[in-house]
Amino acid sequence: MEFLQDTVVLSRLQFALTAIFHMLWPVLTTGMAIYLVIVEGMWLRTRNPDYYHHARFWAKLYVLNFGIGVASGVPMEFQFGTNWAPFSEAVGDFFGSVLGFEASMAFMLEAGFLGIMLFGWERVPPVIHYLSTIMVAFGANLSTFWIITANSWLQTPSGGEVVDGKFVVSNYFEAIFNPFMAKSVSHMFLATLETSLFVIGGISAWYLLNQRHPQFFTRSLKIVLAAAIAVAPLQIYVGHLSGEQVYHEQPAKLAAMEAQWETIPAGTVAPWSAIALPNVEAERNDFEISVPNALGYILELKPQLSEPVLGLKEWKPEDRPAMVGLIYYSFRIMVAIGFFFAGLMLLSVVQWLRGKLSSEEIGKQRWLLVSWIFAAPLGYIAVEAGWIVRCVGRQPWALYEQIRTVDAASKLPPGNVLVSLTGFAVVYSVLFVTALYFGSRIIRKGPDLDRPLPGQGDRDLTEPATHEPDSRPVEAQ
Amino acid sequence: MDLTILDNFLAQVWFAILALFLFLYVMLDGFDLGVGILSLTASSEERRGILMTSLSNVWDANETWLVLMGGALFGAFPLAYSTILNALYIPILTMVFGFIFRAVAFEFREHSESKVFWNSAFGVGSFLAALGQGFSLGAVLEGIHVDKAGHFIGSTWDFLSPQSVVVALTLIQGYVLIGSTYLILKTEGELQKTHYRTAKIATVTTLLGAIAITISTPIFFDYTRERLFDAPWIYIFATIPLLGVLLIWQLWKSIDRQKEVAPFVWTILIFLLTFIGLALVVFPFIIPTQITIYDAAATPTSLVFMLVFIGVLIPIMLFYNIYQYVVFRGKVTSSYYGES
Repeated sequence: MEFLQDTVVLSRLQFALTAIFHMLWPVLTTGMAIYLVIVEGMWLRTRNPDYYHHARFWAKLYVLNFGIGVASGVPMEFQFGTNWAPFSEAVGDFFGSVLGFEASMAFMLEAGFLGIMLFGWERVPPVIHYLSTIMVAFGANLSTFWIITANSWLQTPSGGEVVDGKFVVSNYFEAIFNPFMAKSVSHMFLATLETSLFVIGGISAWYLLNQRHPQFFTRSLKIVLAAAIAVAPLQIYVGHLSGEQVYHEQPAKLAAMEAQWETIPAGTVAPWSAIALPNVEAERNDFEISVPNALGYILELKPQLSEPVLGLKEWKPEDRPAMVGLIYYSFRIMVAIGFFFAGLMLLSVVQWLRGKLSSEEIGKQRWLLVSWIFAAPLGYIAVEAGWIVRCVGRQPWALYEQIRTVDAASKLPPGNVLVSLTGFAVVYSVLFVTALYFGSRIIRKGPDLDRPLPGQGDRDLTEPATHEPDSRPVEAQ
Repeated sequence: MDLTILDNFLAQVWFAILALFLFLYVMLDGFDLGVGILSLTASSEERRGILMTSLSNVWDANETWLVLMGGALFGAFPLAYSTILNALYIPILTMVFGFIFRAVAFEFREHSESKVFWNSAFGVGSFLAALGQGFSLGAVLEGIHVDKAGHFIGSTWDFLSPQSVVVALTLIQGYVLIGSTYLILKTEGELQKTHYRTAKIATVTTLLGAIAITISTPIFFDYTRERLFDAPWIYIFATIPLLGVLLIWQLWKSIDRQKEVAPFVWTILIFLLTFIGLALVVFPFIIPTQITIYDAAATPTSLVFMLVFIGVLIPIMLFYNIYQYVVFRGKVTSSYYGES
């Protein structure tokens, strides 16, 4: 257990753990916020109470996720200073200010209107309430924009140079619009949306399969499906563009994603590896199944490569990512899930066109509904896998090809980091299980369709609510 | 215009903005954490529910001021951000874990049958967050061991000293005080009476802590001695304790007369006065006697850029935060978080 004595390894583990855990919650709240904007808009437009109840029901899951997102987000911001002090000092001028932009433009907006969105139904006019929901969604997505901009800049640093170990920004706009920014932001935006769509769709499918509120949940499934028609194929396309930019900007990462040890010269056809057992010590794959001639089609949509695909051996072992197997399989898992989503969307649309998705008929589509339930957690897996490709594949660099991760870590006693790492592991495990437990209970309980509409309840608008202990038995709903 | 004067001016502007963010944070999350600590003493489940409901719509925005302060400090004074957080590993992580416990407690408590567990997560989490902040403040005032480049070279236990213990305890008392006066504002009946009592107790304990800090600071820290007792500073620093006594007297009177809004306002003014006093002692250092704001500042380009992107938003942020308080004004009577 030598790594227990190595602060850098422990700090990396802690960052990985806290980042992977944190990602689970905002990925849903950012995407679901857009869904909440849609259903509230439909409610205001059509005055169909179903849409109001949708807004209220999904907001329950939303707020459960939001709390954990905030709780796990604060450690992220402070960790840059506590565990990565040399890195923070070196890149603070740009990276730090972007985190400041995120807080001032995105987090504060989201937090400032969240209270009204969740608890303000009876306190503000509908227009103000709707505006608050829009602000929450806008804030969440701005946060995606800034955090991915900051991370993209770590992948493709631009707009300045490292002078005496400190990155000096000469052109802010160039740094913000760094080569990775546009495509990465789009990819992540679509990822949060797609994950949320399939979570909402999967939960709706569960109700439909259990014959509960079929009309109500057919509605959400169809909203989700209509959005997925655009989102699922677009994500595959943007994913392809993201792969292309890795090919051009970070060839060592691409080589790891493909477990490609030898360089493939330009002008040749090359196989695409489907399954491999990378052996980092021997610098080869012990076992491999590949699809002949496919790599050129995947990277450039034509048989011959116009640029060489560099192999891992082009770099010294200390200059290339070490965890080749992890990167290789994470990438394949992400891609497979992306295609599965698109396939499920297509099948569902076909059934929709055949009239099989009416609220009377849909309960009979058992295999389709089961597939939707199966799809619900997949978005999370794809997002985490994508981040692993992106950030493990960036190694050994913290700031790509400029600052090494080993030089970026704070000098701390390993014992301190081991204690905090253990603390995070224990606390986050408890939170994860508890959130699943309470989340599934909210779902089992189902929507409260008897809730009075805003302004029409027995409550006076100006009076605070009376005490309503939430002691209804779960199964009675 | 001389370029260094402009550069220094930018650093001063950012010092002022950060001070504003930190003050807003200490004031707003101060009552938030104070209510959390007070919840540990609440006599019934319903009371605890009302305490948490009084924060339901604001706790996240209140905490965001710290996130904003952190981000702005990271961008504007990267050296200070990295050195301070590196040195304060233990208190900062204590605070972070405290935040985690209390943030999840709001929702989880509502869904849970065994509320005891999440009640203590909320109360203990609030206490840990306040404790971590108190030790951080104490340690920064005391100074951090750094090398010539400003990098931390001390031990991770440096933060622990008699002085930082006093500062931490006093900050917790201050939070309990502002939390009590917030609850006087937001509750009624028996619950309000309870917090008139806790406000009085906390006024006394905060005052004792403040006296201890005021006396011990010039004795233990040379740098403050020079600042405190040299003209013209001495005139400014002599007025601060006088004003403080006046404010505390007003606070005491307003509690005695069972005023509802005044105790909260007087407490905010006491916080503000303390804050100005501390800022004047520390300035122009950001880590006392080692690193000035000019040493730690980012490049002027960064500071200008941040001023455009963050500075302009300050009035807007203040506006919608105030609006939210206006929407949810009035007494809290429901203990059901989620339907306030």
